[in-house]
Order: sequence, then C-alpha cells, then structure tokens
Amino acid sequence: MQVTIQTFIGGLSLGAIYALVALGFSLVYRTMGLVNFSHGNVVMIGAYLASTFYISSKLPFAVSIVVSMVVTAAIGIIIERVLRPLENKDFDLMLIGTIGFGIVLEALAIMIWGATGQAVPSPVPAAPIILAGIRIRTYDLLVLAVAAAATLLLIFFLQRSKRGTAMQAVAMDHEAATAVGINVGRSNAIAFMLGASLAALAGGLVGPLLYVSPAMGGSLGIKGFAAAILGGFGSIPGAILGGVGIGLLDSYAAGHFQGYSELVTFLVFTVIIMVRPNGIFGERTVNRA
Amino acid sequence: MSRFTRSRFAVVWIAAAAAALALSACSKPGATNTTPTATGGPIKIALVDAQSGQLSSLGAWELKGAKLAIDEWNKNGGINGRQIELGVFDDQGDPTTGTTLARKIASENYIAMVGTAESAVTIAMAPILRDAGIPNITSGQSTGLVAVKSPFLFLNGPTSTTYDETLAKYVVDTKGLKQVAMITNNGSYGKGEHDAFLKSLQSRSITPLDDQVVTTDQKDFTAQLTSIRSKNPQVIFIGAEEVESGLIVKQARSLGITAPFAGGAPQGTPVYLSTAGAAAVEGTFVSSPYLSNDINDASRKFSAAYKAAYNEDAELHGAKAYDGTQILLTALKTSNVATGKALADAIRATKYKGLLGSFAYDDTGVGIFATAIGTITNGKLVSAS
Repeated sequence: MQVTIQTFIGGLSLGAIYALVALGFSLVYRTMGLVNFSHGNVVMIGAYLASTFYISSKLPFAVSIVVSMVVTAAIGIIIERVLRPLENKDFDLMLIGTIGFGIVLEALAIMIWGATGQAVPSPVPAAPIILAGIRIRTYDLLVLAVAAAATLLLIFFLQRSKRGTAMQAVAMDHEAATAVGINVGRSNAIAFMLGASLAALAGGLVGPLLYVSPAMGGSLGIKGFAAAILGGFGSIPGAILGGVGIGLLDSYAAGHFQGYSELVTFLVFTVIIMVRPNGIFGERTVNRA
Repeated sequence: MSRFTRSRFAVVWIAAAAAALALSACSKPGATNTTPTATGGPIKIALVDAQSGQLSSLGAWELKGAKLAIDEWNKNGGINGRQIELGVFDDQGDPTTGTTLARKIASENYIAMVGTAESAVTIAMAPILRDAGIPNITSGQSTGLVAVKSPFLFLNGPTSTTYDETLAKYVVDTKGLKQVAMITNNGSYGKGEHDAFLKSLQSRSITPLDDQVVTTDQKDFTAQLTSIRSKNPQVIFIGAEEVESGLIVKQARSLGITAPFAGGAPQGTPVYLSTAGAAAVEGTFVSSPYLSNDINDASRKFSAAYKAAYNEDAELHGAKAYDGTQILLTALKTSNVATGKALADAIRATKYKGLLGSFAYDDTGVGIFATAIGTITNGKLVSAS
C-alpha cells in the first residue's frame, strides 16, 4: 500500500510537467490545426534559459522562469511568423517546417551551452515532508501548485478575455471568424506565443527534477505529445488529464514491468487510443487543413 | 488526430524515407579502400563518438582527450615529419549511424579510428572495420567487445568484469557489506554491469536482496526505490550512465534511503556528482582505473594540459581517450606509419605506461586488467585505502 501511494506521488509531479507540455501542443493545434513538432525543443530551450539565469546570473528562481518564458515567447512568435506564408497553402511543408525548427533549436543549444548539459540545484530546501511514512518532496508540491495556477490562468484567458474568445472562435471556424473581423494571423501568433511560454514554464520547472541537456526535448516532447493525444488533442482539460495520466502510467509501469515499462506504457496508451480514437475529451472541433 | 489524415502522414513518411535513402546512398558500401596514403600528406585518424544526443557528454570528453594527445604530437613535429589529422564523426550514440560511419571512414581512407564510447556502437562497427583493415581503439568496456574477436579492435581500459570484480571484492570482502541491492538500466552498459556484478556476487554465494531494472529513458524511479528501501540494504549497486545514476541517487535520498551507492566509471564523474548533488553522493564507492587528477606526475601533467586547453577539470573518459590515442600514435611511430594488419600488430606489441596504468595487450584486445577503489568524500573522489 505504501509503495502504491509513494509511486502515485512520484508520478504526479512529472505528470504535471507532461500536462504543461501537452497544453502547449493542444493550444497550437486547436487554433491552427498544426502539430508543432519543435515544441519539445522549445521546452529544452526554456529549461536552459531558466537554469542559466538561475545559476549564472543568480536571479531568483521564479524570476529566471519568467524571463525564460518571455524569451521563448519571442521564439514562438518567430516560428509562427516564418511559417505564416504557408498557412492554408501547404500544410505538410508547415509540419516539416516545425520539425526543422526543432533541429535548429537543438543545434543552437549545443552551440551556446555545449553538449554536456548542466544540473540544476533545487530552489527549495530538500527536506521532504513525511506523512504516515509517505515522503513528499517540497519541490514536487511547488511544481503541482505552479502547474495548476498556470492552467487556471490559461482557462481564464481563453474563456473570459476578448482575445481568448477570439482564439476560441478561430479554433471553431476560422473562415467565419475572419468574416466577423477576427485577425486570424494574430490569433495564431498568440497561440504560438502562449504555447512557447508554457513550454518554457515546463522546462524551467523540470530542470531541478532532471538534468538540462540539449537532448532532453526528445523524451519530454514525446511524452507531452502522447499526453495531449490521450486527453483528446486540442482539448485543454484533456491535456491536463492526459499529462497526469501518462505520468502515473509511467510510474506504475516502471514498478511492475521494470525494463519493459516504456513498452507497457505505450501499449496501454495504444489500447486506449484504439478504444477512444479522439482521446478522453476528444471532439472533432478542429476541421481546418 | 482527427484531421491529421492518413495520406498526409504518408506524404511525410515517404519524404523522410526518401531523404534517408539519399543519405545512405552517399556512402555506398563498395567504396574502394586502396592502400591509404603511404607517404606524404597528413596521417588521417577518425574519431567516432556521440557529439549530439543523450550520450554527447561522453563524446565531448573523448574528443577532448584524443585531441589533446594529437595536438601534443603535432606540436612536436608529428610522426616522420607528417602531421596527424583528426576527423570527427557524430554517431549520436546509435549503432545504425555507427555502421554508416564505419563505411564512410573506410571510403575516405582513414587509417585508424578512435572511439566510440558506447560498446553497442563499437560492436556494430567492428565487422566493417575488420573487413576494411582499420584498427580501432574503443572506450567501450563491455565484455561483448571481446566476444567480437576482431584482431583490429582494442580497448583503452579494463572490461566491466574487472570493474565489478574489484568493486565486489572491496564492498563485500573488505567492507563486509553483504546485504546488497541492485538497480541497473536495460541499456547495453547497464545490462553489462548487471551481469558482471551479479556474477561477482554469486561467486561469493550472495544473492542480492533486490534486483531492480529501469529503462535508459526513465525519469521517475519512485516505485523501484521504494521497493529497495523496504529491503533495507547496506549498499546499493548502481549500473547506469552518469545522468540517470545521478537522478536515481537524488530521488533515493529524498525517499529516505541512506545506504551508500556503489558503481563503476560513471559514478566517478562530475556529471554524476552535480546531478545528484554533493551531499547525496557522499560515501559512494567507485571502481575506476582513473580516480583523480592527482595520483602521479603523469596525471598531474595531463590534467594541467587539459585544464589549459579546455578550462575544465579532466576526468576518466578524457584520460582513457588520451591513453588510447597515445597508444595508437606510439604504434604508428614504431611501425613507420603502417596501415591495416601491420598497424594492428604494432598496437598489440605496444607497451605503454599511461594514466590508467601499464598497458600490455593480449590477444583479446584488452590491455589493462586493474581498477582502483575510491570513495566520494566531501564532494571529491579519493582513493579508499
């Protein structure tokens, strides 16, 4: 029983990170109908920026993450700007364009920070909280709180603000949205910008949990992508549920299937997707090519 | 993925496949390997290692060590008045990429190869290099390298068996810690460590209390570590690469595991220490042929040169690559820049006193059979005596 609960807690904080990554994927997808394959690498860049400001410039941890979110938001805007001419013309090229951006970002990281990577010390004192034999790392609680707050802010923005509702409108029907005077290009740019900021937030938070290296985007990106699909690609609550789901699935599979855990995780994932092809909260809202 | 239709996927995949085909066509296997540059021009040596991807830190260290040795020789006038040219190739830690590169260095007339740091990649490349007659000094340590039985393959350090037997001898026999738990990954390195250490334990009639296997890409080890904690071991053997080992130890400490860890080469590296944090790795037993930069005059000279060249502290992998490259260059000199089998024989005949100890190669391609035990004390690896 103790093992079960401890495993649950272990899976939860990484699950929250996957959820943030999945949110970025979903946000861009629901707005533009585009899978941004460079997203994992944006997470990596965010992690590098946050950890560099935190370690080298000695900025407070929270400030480093915010600065890194601003910088990656700019990168997000640049990616969208470069791909914009292809919008509605050649979707495949656009898709490959995002893969290309991912490769460029990884190469840039190796040029700037080297191939070796860096470890990030935890910003909160390490002593875990012990509750009835279950140990909870204080940093995990911080990750969960920040991820929850970011999600709430995002939902508030999408549902309550004018710009957010405009983005929802574009997601539902971009031609009708254009007809009523919504600037689709700007809406896409905001989606990319927000997606990149969320990636930086995930990257910044995951730094002290893991190890920051140019290759970290790969596995985080794949898990985040799987999380988005599991929850229903394009769905905001789906991304959160999918992220936590993948985190927990991973954690329990590791305990029971040892070396085969990765295989089991993705087998279970495949079965769920076969039963529910649109994911848990999936609906066919996005129909734009 | 509703709108991401099948035909679109097909387009992407066909494009990717076409690109892959075009790339592989560039280095066709039948490319000629005529006696490479017998006289004149630079001596071409290839370094194949991961310069990108998960294992790139190993590749970066290797490159630095090998380059240091070559720069030293070049500064002293090269070999027989010829400069040595180092071609760097990125295998991404991937065996398939490795085989492509093996054909490439054969067709580009490289006469010898340094690397790789991954046994699996080296094993994949070995048959091609043997056919092309290119001697290879690898940094791998898997016993699988010996099993290849290639007369062109040499190791620049001891095999896993040596590492783990020395470790088991110290931990079990000397320290008397018989309650052992194991956590290893299922990659080629971790699997090799698992088997070698388990064998050493079995020869002492010890069954590990717990034998946990993780994947190479795993990030959360709570389930396995909680199981280990419940068995209450005196020492935990760890067989995984630097970063993953660091993460395992970090998470173990936050779960309240206080037992010391024990392991091979990765546990002696600065990456392991910084990933877990100095306090977490305190007391780790490390089996390594190169404990510190301060063992003797040779290591002090090497580490000073390394620091001057790269502004960072030298460590085991750089030292291994440096030794391996020195052996290769010495053999090139004694054989008057021979190639193929003559060069391989010259390497086998080379007796070299290096940073790791005294090399004397046997028929299996292993030149050194000893490691030393160190413990991490106050954030530094010091010799355990």
